[in-house]
Amino acid sequence: MSDVRTTWRHFDFWLLGAVSILSIFSIAMIRSAIAGNITLAGYDQRQALFVIIGFGVILITTAIDYRFWASINRILYYGMAGLLGVLYVVGEAIFGSARWFETTYFDIQPSELAKIIIILALAEFFSRNMGRVNDPRIIFRSLLLTFGVVLWIILQPNLGTSIVILIIWFALLWASGLNLKMLAAFAGVGIVIPIIGYPLLADYQKNRILDFLFPDPSARHGDIYNIQQALISIGSGGWLGKGYNLGTQVQLRFLKVRHSDFIFSAMAEEFGFIGTVLIIGLLLFVIYRILRAARLARDTYGALICYGVATLVAFQALVNIGVNLRLIPATGLPLPFISYGGSAMLSLLLGIGLVQSVIIRHKSA
Amino acid sequence: MNSNANLTNNVQLWRIIVFGIAIIGVILIYLGRLFSLQILESADWVAQAEENRISEINLPTQRGIIFDRNDYILAQNIPSYNVVIIPADLPDDLGAIQEIFRQISEMINVPINLNEVSNENPYVPCRSEHGIAQIVEYGETSAPYVPVRIKCNVDRTTAMIIKEEAVDLPGVDIEIESIRDYPTGSLTAAIIGFLGPISAAEEEYYRQRNFIPDRDKVGYAGVERYFQSILSGHNGERLVEVDVGGQVLRNVVPPVDPTPGFNLRLTIDSRLQNAAESILVREIDEWNAYYGEMRMNSGVVIALNPKTGEVLAMVSYPSYENNRMARVIPQYYFKQLSEDPRNPMLNHAVGDELPAGSVFKLVTAVGALNEVVVTPEQIIKAPPKIVIEEKFSANVLNPRTREFIDWNEAGFGEIDFVNGLANSSNVYFYKLGGGFEDEIPEGLGICRLGTYARALGFGNYPGIELPLVEDGLIPDPTWKRINQGENWSSGDTYIASVGQGYIIATPLQVLLSASTIANDGELMRPTILREILDSDGNIIKSFVPDSVWDITSDPVIDIFEDPSSPGGCESKLTGEKKSVEPWVIEKVQEGMRQAVLNGTLTDEFENVNISVAGKTGTAEYCDKYANEKNLCIPGNWPTHAWTTAYAPYEDPEIVVIAFVYNGGEGATVAGPIVRQFLEAYFEIKAGDTAAQNP
Repeated sequence: MSDVRTTWRHFDFWLLGAVSILSIFSIAMIRSAIAGNITLAGYDQRQALFVIIGFGVILITTAIDYRFWASINRILYYGMAGLLGVLYVVGEAIFGSARWFETTYFDIQPSELAKIIIILALAEFFSRNMGRVNDPRIIFRSLLLTFGVVLWIILQPNLGTSIVILIIWFALLWASGLNLKMLAAFAGVGIVIPIIGYPLLADYQKNRILDFLFPDPSARHGDIYNIQQALISIGSGGWLGKGYNLGTQVQLRFLKVRHSDFIFSAMAEEFGFIGTVLIIGLLLFVIYRILRAARLARDTYGALICYGVATLVAFQALVNIGVNLRLIPATGLPLPFISYGGSAMLSLLLGIGLVQSVIIRHKSA
Repeated sequence: MNSNANLTNNVQLWRIIVFGIAIIGVILIYLGRLFSLQILESADWVAQAEENRISEINLPTQRGIIFDRNDYILAQNIPSYNVVIIPADLPDDLGAIQEIFRQISEMINVPINLNEVSNENPYVPCRSEHGIAQIVEYGETSAPYVPVRIKCNVDRTTAMIIKEEAVDLPGVDIEIESIRDYPTGSLTAAIIGFLGPISAAEEEYYRQRNFIPDRDKVGYAGVERYFQSILSGHNGERLVEVDVGGQVLRNVVPPVDPTPGFNLRLTIDSRLQNAAESILVREIDEWNAYYGEMRMNSGVVIALNPKTGEVLAMVSYPSYENNRMARVIPQYYFKQLSEDPRNPMLNHAVGDELPAGSVFKLVTAVGALNEVVVTPEQIIKAPPKIVIEEKFSANVLNPRTREFIDWNEAGFGEIDFVNGLANSSNVYFYKLGGGFEDEIPEGLGICRLGTYARALGFGNYPGIELPLVEDGLIPDPTWKRINQGENWSSGDTYIASVGQGYIIATPLQVLLSASTIANDGELMRPTILREILDSDGNIIKSFVPDSVWDITSDPVIDIFEDPSSPGGCESKLTGEKKSVEPWVIEKVQEGMRQAVLNGTLTDEFENVNISVAGKTGTAEYCDKYANEKNLCIPGNWPTHAWTTAYAPYEDPEIVVIAFVYNGGEGATVAGPIVRQFLEAYFEIKAGDTAAQNP
């Protein structure tokens, strides 16, 4: 197949460069954030290890033709659904919670990998059904496909990841040609679901929403206190920040979960407006390069994979920053490439590898 | 091949662009928010971050110690140990927490579980009864890094044991609190006072002076209150950087160490104070036993050095136990004291205004001699009673007549000045004060009586360093017009001449009048403060006797025009002033000496080999308590007993006054107290002299 040359000439070094900068910055930022906390000691080195492994994953994934994944799509999909199902049942029985595989050295969160698997599965499904996505039966089948995996994640319960996957499903539906009539119908459902769904949420989830809508300014603990401390961290950063390792909110631990969910605030405190805008700019650049790959992809499957990865990065980034800025209610979503978390980092870099695999195999212009 | 959907990219570009635009749109909103937070509101957030980071630690200082004149401690600070738990420092393991609770519970005898903390049964440190678990739960939910008190005032041994086992008891600690201790307790409570919490009304004042309202205490009464600012010292302060756990990391600015309060050395001699109180109490008990009823139950004894004004003893009986107020003021005890009709919380020596009775005749005596109303040698008739016309203004037709009776039903016949004073003849002094027919054509009159009274220390604030000091009342026609709505009558003048009627004075003021006579006319400002010392014992302010005035040389006597005519005194002022002739004081001294040798006090001072001069008083009164008991029978009112005396007559160094509420006759009830006190004084003095010159 002469038009499917595998050429590393098209490898997107700009994308890799941007991701590298973000990953290295992540290690440095985690190092600053965990200073003085004994239980978190060594997290920076673990993150570094994951970044190194992740870059290996990028190279390997790039080398493998992404269409190979389509051929083993069923194995991947049912494997993941089965894994999550077993994990849920066993975990529930033994630990009462099923989010992690605990190993001797670190915890693996299969739901992070599930995001990539669902991208692959949905990309495969929509590429086969392109042009029929406005048929309610196709929409229903794609939703069923999604729920085969999401169900277990909802049950864990992990609302954040579930929403991410549903957003990926919707974004791929949109990219596959969802018409405005159906979009309007979804918008209608989108308004109704929260109203019906709210009573079904766990108490802590309800409280987060209530806290966001009606904050109690005198709270000393809990989500409101955490968000308030995040705002103090961000606001006190000013133009240039307090300097690396010198943010008082971070170093004196007033800012909570500063190595993961609130690492954006930690960064804003130590590097200020300028530094924060630079990092946001880098994230946008990464998203731009992924979308560019989606446009250049030689087939729909590859384009949808890229598009799914872009959605994954963009949505998590927007939600995380939005929470930090107190523009949306607290949700436990990490900031892509920056927040601490080995599974999330590996999955993201795996996604970047898929995008590279797509781009190096694109049609030569 | 290209027709195969698998080999073409069918994703529409515009859909990707819309997606991109949506992201850019949200990011722009975020950047706006970020700019607003980091740039526009920056100062506000920086302030909040600083507030998080910087904590102010107030370092408590030590309150000054109060000594008596012989360095005997009257007020000091002692440590008190409280067992506290810092909820955040307890282990995470519930079993370990229970084990700690169990051990602590055994050591301090507080149950682990008792009474939930609720609005009806709130946690009050040191007061409320709750189990350890309940107190810790309360602390954990309100402020987990702040120690909560589990038990207050544990003994030193328990505190030391807990301190030693601190390693095995994480979260448990001993808090050392400084508590005021009064070794002499109720004996000196009326002078020393006690401490209490900073009230809501004074909170702002003390906050500005770096006090911590819930921790620091301030003087509520006595010396503790009067010298609050000198005794309190200044709290120190540290501005520190803390982490979220409240752990102190470093000083932000160099700390300011606390400055201890100044120590006070009072003029009080605890031995004399003790003697005065026991003599007073014994005398009261004996009389009550004699009458077979609780006729009298409160009184005052004050002694001072007439040459310096130093108060050596000041007893206001009954008093209260100020050690019971050391930690908290117990409500039931406070209530009991407040409801006691004898008002034990008041220092009656300076805060109670009473009819002075015959001790006030010293004023009339000085005035009458100095104004030549009478000469010392002049013989005056002193029948059992005299009848005068009660006039409310000049030239009244058919005025009412009024009888003035002598305390001695037989009268004194014909007496001169010294005998009139020695025997305290009422009729003699009525005549001197109001005039009588041709014998005393013009009496002293209320205006001149007033100016001599003030010269001897009545009617003015005496300047002693105590709170709640009253200044008594020396009435005049204007005062009566305003306060009683009636003109001054001639009868008012007669009655005022013997210290009755509207005249009221504190025991200290009565003592000051006698002290001025004893000190040849020089009135010394009374003081209880001898020296102020710093915490190292260096004298900061040494004692210098403070003379108010010498009535024989300073012009303190107002000169009135036509002094005994009716009408207000101010209009009769000439503006000129004069002093008292020294011989007048000598004659009054002679009269007081004669009272002991051959007068009202002779029986009480039999076989006493101290040369004493004195004056008695039996003051009629009718207050609300007497009224309640229906004791206010016209012409036969109940009486307070007064006696004042000084010694040695030739060179006085001690002047003392005894007052017994509802004591009856001055000489028989208050006289023995004064005699016994003077004996005790000279006995102690002899002991001191012997100790100094072995």
